[in-house]
Amino acid sequence: MAAAVERDLPLTGAPPAGPPAADAPPAGAEAAGAAAGHVEIEGLAAGYDGHRVLDLDRLSVRRGEFLSILGPSGCGKTTLLNAIAGFVAPDTGRILVDGADITGLPPHRRELGMVFQNYALFPHLSVAGNVAYGLRVHRVPKRERAERVAEALRLVGLEEFAGRRPRALSGGQQQRVAIARALATRPAVLLLDEPLSNLDAKLRREMRVELRKIQRSVGTTMVFVTHDQEEALSLSDRIAVLNGGRLEQLGTPDEVYRRPASRFVAQFIGAANVLEGTVRDDGSLDVGGAAVATGLPDPVPGREAVVAVRPERIRLSPAAGAAGPAAGVTGTVSYRAFTGDAWQVEVRTAGGLVLTVRVADSGAGGADPPGTGTAVTASWDPADLIVLEPGAGR
Amino acid sequence: MAHIPTAGRRARWRGAVYTVPLLVFLLALFVAPLVRLLQLSLRPVDGNNAALPGYTGHQYVRVLTEPFFYEALVRTIVTAALVTVLCVVLAYPAAYALARRRPGLVRTLLFVVVLSPLLTSVVVRSYGWVVLLGANGPVNRTLVGIGVLDQPAHLLTSYSAVVVSVTHVLLPFAIVPLTTALGGLDRDVLRASRILGAGPVRTFARVTVPLSLPGALSGALVVFALAMGIYITPLLVGGANQPLAGIRVYDQISTVFDFPVAAALSFVLLLITVLCTTGLGAAFRTWERRLHG
Repeated sequence: MAAAVERDLPLTGAPPAGPPAADAPPAGAEAAGAAAGHVEIEGLAAGYDGHRVLDLDRLSVRRGEFLSILGPSGCGKTTLLNAIAGFVAPDTGRILVDGADITGLPPHRRELGMVFQNYALFPHLSVAGNVAYGLRVHRVPKRERAERVAEALRLVGLEEFAGRRPRALSGGQQQRVAIARALATRPAVLLLDEPLSNLDAKLRREMRVELRKIQRSVGTTMVFVTHDQEEALSLSDRIAVLNGGRLEQLGTPDEVYRRPASRFVAQFIGAANVLEGTVRDDGSLDVGGAAVATGLPDPVPGREAVVAVRPERIRLSPAAGAAGPAAGVTGTVSYRAFTGDAWQVEVRTAGGLVLTVRVADSGAGGADPPGTGTAVTASWDPADLIVLEPGAGR
Repeated sequence: MAHIPTAGRRARWRGAVYTVPLLVFLLALFVAPLVRLLQLSLRPVDGNNAALPGYTGHQYVRVLTEPFFYEALVRTIVTAALVTVLCVVLAYPAAYALARRRPGLVRTLLFVVVLSPLLTSVVVRSYGWVVLLGANGPVNRTLVGIGVLDQPAHLLTSYSAVVVSVTHVLLPFAIVPLTTALGGLDRDVLRASRILGAGPVRTFARVTVPLSLPGALSGALVVFALAMGIYITPLLVGGANQPLAGIRVYDQISTVFDFPVAAALSFVLLLITVLCTTGLGAAFRTWERRLHG
């Protein structure tokens, strides 16, 4: 218990092994040749009533990084967080923090921090009392405690609210108190369970910036659970995409977005159009009768292949007569909706294929995308095509 | 009041109309007898303890100066306080177990067990204690059998037997509100305490208890009020000589036939109960305001 107190990480200012550059993933750990990450999860499986909800081979969190665990509800992401925190006992596997096995430790001996979705502040304590709670439990002397409470509240910009009760604060302020409370004990790792999902859209965007700022200034390793892909993309150093309790992909936001490892990742992040078909003799893909140029590395005719294309990568043009594979797919607009900065257009081909297209709005002076019923050609640069299953004989 | 629009005022009156049956019921069966009782407590008595016309404060003077009465009052307050503390302390683990249990057969059965003292008649329940605590009862035989006692103790007719049996009857009144309060606790708030380094015991003391205090207090309020007036259970288990106000009242009515002094004693008991519960209630509201204000 005393370890956390003596661990002399300053609350502000980058820790020794923190990320060197703001945007780059922390290279320090790898450069130092440390194979083990800050938090290592090995062969972790957990479930309720015989129903397995989590089955992770390996997940390594680097020191000082902001790792998002992204997935749909029921994918096991909250179970994973609760297993790290010690609220869920895994059936098998190990969790190591700084090389020490914490799998068997109760939550209060793990020296971790956690921010909950519903803030979970102590309603009977003031804001300062909430932030001081962990310090009091760790028997931090009174004077130091007061200093650290003030420091934590300064970090989240709530110094003037120290005497208030949590109920007298707005949702955003309560969440900041929760962050200050979790950071005050200087935890090795801060776990965040969908902390922004109860806030309204505007506040959520502001808190996102704030959270990233706090993470950079404190340098604490953060594991952030979310179902919101935009949140994960904009906040994280790396994203772990979870589906059905398994790790689908682990990578930086642009890796996960540009090179999704699976159909699930492609569809869950950025809602890509997935095209399945048979490779034709000319190397293009036959998708429901439409020929799609793929640029497959090593096409084998007759094989099944799966590719994906992002909605914003598709261009719409008036239907052309002669349609070669490069010219794209012809179809009719079946749906068109204005979403503010863009239009969402759905194009249905004669073969029944439906493509979702995102067309950036060209402003009041510009032309709107073709309306419902218009015949269009949807085309894209073959380089923008994401190959999910090449269908090649490897 | 003057600013309430007519429609609003009419709506308010219509709402009040619905309370009339209850109001009539309370007036006829609670307020009226109470007024009669007050009147009775102010009557002088003749040599045979029969009430005479006229008014006097003599009965109240007797209640407050004769040790037979005021010592019983003090003992009653102490007993009620003791029973209240015992009930709340015993209710916590039971309520905790109930609140944590998911709804289902086991939970329902546990609730039935908890409420069982209220579901059995006073006589049956009290004689159950008489059998249990008697000289040849299982408690004494066990104590003698394992060598704790040389011979059976007088468990029955003892003050402890009174406290135990009264606590038994009133326990459900403490458990039920506490179960509700504990069930309403946010699990994440308890988890937040754990992850901040507090073990189960400290979390219970620093988070669970303060947050469930309203439930504990409302239970305590009911238990205390009922314990102040209880007389059949202590009478059957502890005997007629227990110095409790309720038994003294019963005694004055059934054996001495001094109705006015019984009425006066009842009124003093009622007044003390009202004062104590009001004090507890004020503490309760202050805490609620701290939590939700």
